[in-house]
Amino acid sequence: MTVHVPVSTDVRPGINRVSGKPDPLAPIGLRSRYESRKRNLEIGPLDKIYLFWLVGASCDGCTIAVTGATNPGVEDLMAGNVPGLPKVELIHTVVSVESGPEWVHNLFMAEAGKLDAPFVVCWEGSIMDESLAGDGYWMGLGEDPETGRQITSLEWLSRISPKAAAVIAVGTCATWGGIPAATGNATGAMGVMDYLGTDYRSAFGVPVVNVPGCSPIGDNVIETAAAVLLFLQGLAPLPEFDELGRPAWLFSETVHRHCPRAGYYEEGVFAEEYGGKECLVELGCWGPVVQCNIAERGIVNGVGGCMQLGGICIGCTMPGFPDKFAPFYSIPPGSLLSTNTSRMVGSFIRRLRRLSMQDKNRSPRWKAEAPSGWARYETPPQGAAKTVHRFYNAYQESKKSYK
Amino acid sequence: MCFKNLPIEFDEQGNARLREGVSNPYELSEPRSYVKAISDERESPRIRDWMIDPVTRVAGALAVHTKLDFEKRQATEGHSMAMLFRGYEVILKGRDPRDAIDISSRACGVCGGVHATVSSLTIEQAFGITPPPMGVVVRNLGEGAEMLYDHPLHLGLLAGPDYSSALVEITNPEMVDRARQTEAPGGGTHGYKTIGDIMDALNPLTGEVYVEALGITRLAREMCSLMYGKYPHPSTLVPGGVMTTISTSTFNEFYARLVKMFDYSKKIATLWDDLVEFFYAYDPAYALVGDRPINLIQTGIWDDPEAYDGTYANANAWGDRRFSTPGVIIDGQLVTTRLHDINIGIEEFVEHSYYEPWTANGARRPTDPVGNPLSPNHMWNKETIPKPTGRNFKEKYSWSTSPRWDRQTMETGVYGRMWTTALAQKHPKNDFFEATGDGIRIMMPEASMPEMELFWKIPTRLNALERNRARAFGVGWTAAITMACLLQGFEYWRKGETKVHTEYTIPKDERVAVGFWEAGRGFLTHHMTMDKGQIQNYQILTPSTWNASPRDPFGQRGAYEEAIVGTPILESVSDEDTKGIDVLRTIRSFDPCMPCTTHIDTGRGVITREVNSCACTLD
Repeated sequence: MTVHVPVSTDVRPGINRVSGKPDPLAPIGLRSRYESRKRNLEIGPLDKIYLFWLVGASCDGCTIAVTGATNPGVEDLMAGNVPGLPKVELIHTVVSVESGPEWVHNLFMAEAGKLDAPFVVCWEGSIMDESLAGDGYWMGLGEDPETGRQITSLEWLSRISPKAAAVIAVGTCATWGGIPAATGNATGAMGVMDYLGTDYRSAFGVPVVNVPGCSPIGDNVIETAAAVLLFLQGLAPLPEFDELGRPAWLFSETVHRHCPRAGYYEEGVFAEEYGGKECLVELGCWGPVVQCNIAERGIVNGVGGCMQLGGICIGCTMPGFPDKFAPFYSIPPGSLLSTNTSRMVGSFIRRLRRLSMQDKNRSPRWKAEAPSGWARYETPPQGAAKTVHRFYNAYQESKKSYK
Repeated sequence: MCFKNLPIEFDEQGNARLREGVSNPYELSEPRSYVKAISDERESPRIRDWMIDPVTRVAGALAVHTKLDFEKRQATEGHSMAMLFRGYEVILKGRDPRDAIDISSRACGVCGGVHATVSSLTIEQAFGITPPPMGVVVRNLGEGAEMLYDHPLHLGLLAGPDYSSALVEITNPEMVDRARQTEAPGGGTHGYKTIGDIMDALNPLTGEVYVEALGITRLAREMCSLMYGKYPHPSTLVPGGVMTTISTSTFNEFYARLVKMFDYSKKIATLWDDLVEFFYAYDPAYALVGDRPINLIQTGIWDDPEAYDGTYANANAWGDRRFSTPGVIIDGQLVTTRLHDINIGIEEFVEHSYYEPWTANGARRPTDPVGNPLSPNHMWNKETIPKPTGRNFKEKYSWSTSPRWDRQTMETGVYGRMWTTALAQKHPKNDFFEATGDGIRIMMPEASMPEMELFWKIPTRLNALERNRARAFGVGWTAAITMACLLQGFEYWRKGETKVHTEYTIPKDERVAVGFWEAGRGFLTHHMTMDKGQIQNYQILTPSTWNASPRDPFGQRGAYEEAIVGTPILESVSDEDTKGIDVLRTIRSFDPCMPCTTHIDTGRGVITREVNSCACTLD
């Protein structure tokens, strides 16, 4: 077999001897140095930022959710295609080109302050108490090249979080503990905030940012990150966060307030079987008390969403998830009072609305039956209904500002 | 019949029983020799002992240890390590069985709908209910969309970069030159004139195929959300069907997106076909990269709404009516398609995993619900006790267990289900694909591109390139099945059979159930026992548990390990510059997905300390 002779005498770290160019399998912290992106028009001082996406007890669902973001997409951030936002150099086991020791080298560089740009940590998954794992580990991530010692992913969080520009907990496991922290967990699972504590501040003075959801909406994560970056660039105001570190503009409303089925609740109509189009509260939906924006935003590119398609809300964005919402498919105990109240008021409102609709569904030209070839449409209102409509219409006419 | 290691025989009716006169039928026998032995055990001096932790461009936490022998020019060792434990099933104990759907879904966010689906199948079997046809169709459509997201994700973002010009030019510089001079036969379909252009398109972050794959995964997830409400982690799957509110828009919006998949399928299959043939032509030794025996196990997907009744007793019959046929292939021969045989042949071992054995008292359930024999190591008998310890390759080194079928190392994947379907020729007749015995003929309808017939031929070997090529054809095959399912949906819609769900009550007596389904990467089962309306035991066996398994008590390697050992080093650069890319291509060709590989039931919270020998890499 012929062995290719290296063409390059360039021995700088991160340069490949064979190609003489930055080595795509070298640590990104090294090879990224050689990429020049000087432009005439610079928007903001930050040209580049490293993003360490580290995981604990995770299912990778948050990662997948983030690749579903559309405005902008991850590929735009990683390619630096959004003017004003720094190019994101991503260190992520699912995405990185390099593996093994080269991948881990990036973490050592971050710890030693040797990266040529600030870095942000996104943490996905719960924190597991590694002290319960004896000499083993719940979640190993890389070896110490000097000693061969297994390092845990939690150790990396401890080592680099003080130097991070920000720590963003992505998804419900990372924010509040989520399912791995449910009753019966053997790993001592908890959220990032639980672990880093009240006093934690990033190198830029920011407490842990929390973007919950199981999995979160991809655009919620990217938008939050982008909002923080635009602030750091001096372009946009500091985004507002609530007392639990959630982006306030995304999580201050209950999902029920924007639910397409909320009108059924108002009229006191509830789905009695799966697949029904009415309000889902009596099938176990917790929407009225859950802070989430999936009803407006959908799950991917505006499409989907739990209640939109008939799924109950199980409270997956909330710190009480899952235990305070389980068992999922039974009616929330408190809703009996509220749904029955709504039934009483709603049945009255519903009838009035039906009465109005009956009138508004008729063109003023139609004195008798509607000229539809599809079916025999309702005859004009008779008796008391006719009288009500006459008075209502006269009243409506009198209120018009033009005559 | 199909078993040669386990002492199981069949009567005239096809019911399994233990062979008479065997005193201890599930005794662990003496270690066998490795299936793929290295010709010379003497270690040569030029060896790189390489711990790849983490392996990137895979889902979840995987580490692999290997040795690159530069004299023999091959990898001579392989240890596969699942690095994460979360303990999901213990969280499920004592809960309302329906909660398993939403909780087990969170086992994996990459295959973010299959766990919820298989959990629904398991629970409806326990409850004794059958979903209405439209409920089955909605599940099928969701699954189709999920696979249409899953395969492009792997081909474009995870495996593709290993074949890109950016990487090949530092491992095999001359190959890129040759590729630029080699015309791509399928250029008229995929649009790339030369193989070099394909390799450029595979470049990470910037290549067209890479970027397009991200967009396609989003489109497919939109489809999936139309059926499942949410992806990952669906919100509309329930026992007895689905709770999706379907409307005319649901099907129309789904269809409008599916047609875009037809064109993508034509392109991606042709592109990988050209790339794979180029690699073989460049150096036939690429056939040995990731090569291992053709032993495959599949559970099947896409139920026939008329045949599926959810029962265990009839599983062999409705299993055979799936669009993707369940089955076991040993040395390239299909030995069974019966779900009962598949189920009772499985044993899970923990000799090299961070768990303690549980079989001291024999089998709690010596038979399955229809009387077939079960091993004490079967999932229905399993009670796993986690025991994290220091890593030692001679003892314990992974959070993954070692499942075996008939005590043999099995592999599973999209290629496996294409393989069983092609050989079995049992799938329901439809206009969009046909198993031919030697492959699968896929008819892709006209969309923006003209109609096209794709033919996936069963390969002669099971190696890294063939896994990826099959996956690329698997996109079109999935689109074909999804189209067939959509037409079924339209038909039920037309007939007014729009009910998506069957009512149920939660039984209070003891029930045993299993759900059979598949993830993007293949085989998937959930085994449950419940009593008094609560979950007693819940066991998840995933595809990557098969593929990523460590050695078993018989000394046989797991599938990744087998595939790595013997993989040639084909890079044309000096030892020092060698990246080991063919080992990584091997691992990635399986499409590893580790999150759900390691969620074994924890019986106790007591963790024992052991001495950690860090000399483990010196094995």
